[in-house]
Amino acid sequence: MSEIITVGVAQIRHSSSPAILRTILGSCVGICIYDRVKKIGGMAHILLPHNLKRGQSQEKYADTAIPLLVNELTKAGAKIENLSAKIAGGASMFKFGTNVMLGQIGERNIEQTKLELEKLKISVVVEDLGGNFGRVIDFYLEDGRMKVKAGGQEKIYYKV
Amino acid sequence: MDQNIKQRIDTVIANLDQLPNLPEVASKVINMVSNPDISFKQVAQEIVKNQAMTTNILKLCNSAYFSKGNEITSIDRAIVTLGLKEVKDIVLLVAAKPVLEKPVVGYDLGQGDLWKQGLSVATMSRDIALNKKKKDIADVVFTGGIIHNVGKVVIALYVQQAFKKILETVQTQNIPFHQAEKEIMGYNHQEVGEKILEKWNFPPVLRSIVRFYQEPENAPPEHRLEVSIVHIANAICLMGGIGIGNDGLYHEIKDAAIKKTGLTQGELENLYARVPDILNQIRDLQ
Repeated sequence: MSEIITVGVAQIRHSSSPAILRTILGSCVGICIYDRVKKIGGMAHILLPHNLKRGQSQEKYADTAIPLLVNELTKAGAKIENLSAKIAGGASMFKFGTNVMLGQIGERNIEQTKLELEKLKISVVVEDLGGNFGRVIDFYLEDGRMKVKAGGQEKIYYKV
Repeated sequence: MDQNIKQRIDTVIANLDQLPNLPEVASKVINMVSNPDISFKQVAQEIVKNQAMTTNILKLCNSAYFSKGNEITSIDRAIVTLGLKEVKDIVLLVAAKPVLEKPVVGYDLGQGDLWKQGLSVATMSRDIALNKKKKDIADVVFTGGIIHNVGKVVIALYVQQAFKKILETVQTQNIPFHQAEKEIMGYNHQEVGEKILEKWNFPPVLRSIVRFYQEPENAPPEHRLEVSIVHIANAICLMGGIGIGNDGLYHEIKDAAIKKTGLTQGELENLYARVPDILNQIRDLQ
């Protein structure tokens, strides 16, 4: 049994094969980035799209957490050109009042996550996004696969 | 509707023995605190009768979450230092934990997940009350937050059997999960929760929170603010992924509840942004 590393809300963790990174997502987005050559990878669990007060809790926001994660991975020996990303989460409340901006937070998180990855030229190879389900994701660093458990069903994505 | 499941739930809720137990001291203390004729000495005497609980209560009084600095070594001291309402909250925490920390398999919640969700909703509800200058209800929404989900503990067994049908009903009829529970099983977890609170002899405002936290507009007007606060805190904690089960986010955030509490869009987003801090705060209560 490989070591399971839990990634909490607004946290970033990275490790190497055969560790497994796990997180639980509602409207948050989980970003799994993998170097298929070095077999190292990391996960960010972002809560909100924009960090308005720079320098504060960088791991919480898509626009600061994703560069931070990539930076950690390259420091650990990953090469930018070997990196690919899988993203999951960003669910919305089933129904919300017309005045509830918070209802759209999942979508805003998804949008900003994609934008940041594009800026860093990291391709998104798998998306499991939106809807109204919570998700438990396991990111296996032995081969970069991602397992998503949602609504009592499991899916495994192998593409890296 | 699945008549077989409905009949089985009928039997469970008609038979008090089959509903979860709570140490008697908890309901006594909760009712004593709302009675102005009771002195704090009487409350302390009631608590110390239960030695095992007293030890755990004192441990929590000295936790980072509740401590005010000086070590508390007696219930008398705890009431003087923390206040009667705070000690009442702690009594409930100690009493309710064994009921709420178990895995709730039908909702796909592991050991401690429902408890953690209750603690988070309680903490966020209390923050909302304090920020909105409603200090007088801070302890009530805290307690309500802890137990709002208690019906799930009993109904989970049936949800497990009916899950596929419930989810289908959610999607085909476009209704939230708790309404689909009722469609399929004849009951939802809020109604079962209310029965549990009746058994425990809890005051009406807490029954309203448990019964109406998904539909605050239907709560009795005198409890609507308390119910609305827990409604919002529950939704935000689930969005943050805390205690999210197989019912996911198949729930609602109601405009009426937001209006009732007077929370602005910015304040709502700040509450959501505070989810990681709340998880840190409750760590020593888990």
